[in-house]
Amino acid sequence: MRAAIRPHFPRPHATLGLLLVAALSLGWLAGCAATPPAGDAEALAEFNETNDPLEPTNRVFYEINDGLDTVIMRPLAQGYRAVLPQDVRTGVHNLLTNMNTPVVFANDILQTKPTRAGDSLMRFLINTTVGVAGIFDVAKDWGYPPHDGGFGTTLALWGIGEGPFLFLPVLGPNNPRELVGFGADLATDPWSWVAGGTGITVFDWTRFGVGVIDERERVLDPVDNVKKTALDPYATFRSLYRQHRNAEIQAVRDDNRFTQPNWFAPARPAQ
Amino acid sequence: MPTHSPASTLSRRALLALAALPAGLARPAFAQGAGAAFALVKSTGDQLVAIVNGPGTAAEKRPKLRQVIEANVDIDEIARFVLGRFWRIATPEQQKQYTPLFRDVLILNISSKIGDYQGVKFTMGATHARDDGEHVMTIVERPNNPPANVEWVVANAARNVKIIDVIAEGTSMRLTQRSDYSSYLSRNNNNVQALIDALRQQAAENK
Repeated sequence: MRAAIRPHFPRPHATLGLLLVAALSLGWLAGCAATPPAGDAEALAEFNETNDPLEPTNRVFYEINDGLDTVIMRPLAQGYRAVLPQDVRTGVHNLLTNMNTPVVFANDILQTKPTRAGDSLMRFLINTTVGVAGIFDVAKDWGYPPHDGGFGTTLALWGIGEGPFLFLPVLGPNNPRELVGFGADLATDPWSWVAGGTGITVFDWTRFGVGVIDERERVLDPVDNVKKTALDPYATFRSLYRQHRNAEIQAVRDDNRFTQPNWFAPARPAQ
Repeated sequence: MPTHSPASTLSRRALLALAALPAGLARPAFAQGAGAAFALVKSTGDQLVAIVNGPGTAAEKRPKLRQVIEANVDIDEIARFVLGRFWRIATPEQQKQYTPLFRDVLILNISSKIGDYQGVKFTMGATHARDDGEHVMTIVERPNNPPANVEWVVANAARNVKIIDVIAEGTSMRLTQRSDYSSYLSRNNNNVQALIDALRQQAAENK
């Protein structure tokens, strides 16, 4: 199971960001979770570990999202899966991934990961040309494996803490660090620099819409499974999201592959 | 205080020898533990894959899966871990009710995913020693899915060698389950009986 419970969205139009901030500000006014009494050390430790002081508000948004998901997103994703064969869906996913590669490349550099940056650069060059605008992931077979990464991961590697758990309208499980990263990724996306006009607005929203459906389709089975088996799906998604994000960040931190040739360590003996 | 008196030298040597003793013993035991953990994961994985990809309906495969899981997974240990601090709050009677229910629900949840795993294969990777046991890395590949990193945690060899956790793409099954139960309990006045009733309902619904 690729437990990408948090959909990694492509960059939507900036107005969506504003809507989110507005909704979030309203949410913060709504309520906070009660801290357990100081005498109950274990309950207190659990409360701190869960780090979800906005839980009552988060649960409201979870319910809203879940309702919208049941009547809109899930049926759309199921339709998408039923109508298009796997090869076409893979092509769509590859195309979206390729469009996002410049942002990943910029973050590879900010994370001082030269090999990952090299992978991203070669992937973009190869897949945009040989891979027909990114529909085919040729670079993967040529030794440049795909990886994800945005400014949220960069902030984590820079030592910024994640902050309290957030469950946001549309975006789902999140935290302040990821939210800042999401905004930065939007701002640095070259596609958002293309001069405005009706055409580009339609393009942006199409890309966003298709991206959401693509990501939702990819997690249809794991999400259905959590809803079917969990006693408290909200708490289960919260735990899965956090564990998965931490593992992703740790994998980037541990990825210290050398560049070939190894320009940065000339004295290192050959293996 | 004289630092080189014979007595202090002797006691220091004795201490050093004592300190070295468990270290010397631990090394072969560790290697053995890693080997045993690797072998257990390999054999369990092979058996599960053979059942999943083998002939028969999902209903026919379920008892076979149950047998393999019960033989190789320390379900009682997982059950205690998942209940966490509430295990101690629970009465002995509640503990007795909870463990078999947890076992049923766990096996039902695993076997309900059989269909999704048709055509699965797995590759063994390295084994690392961690605080909670040996972590055996595998890569699980399913048709039309990107390969997933799945880490199996095998309890330390001192006790019986059994699987106590599965970590898929960084998400630990037992930690996730513990979050689920503890949140459910805190929303039900920390009443373990409420959890037992909910599990009983889940077991009955999915049978």
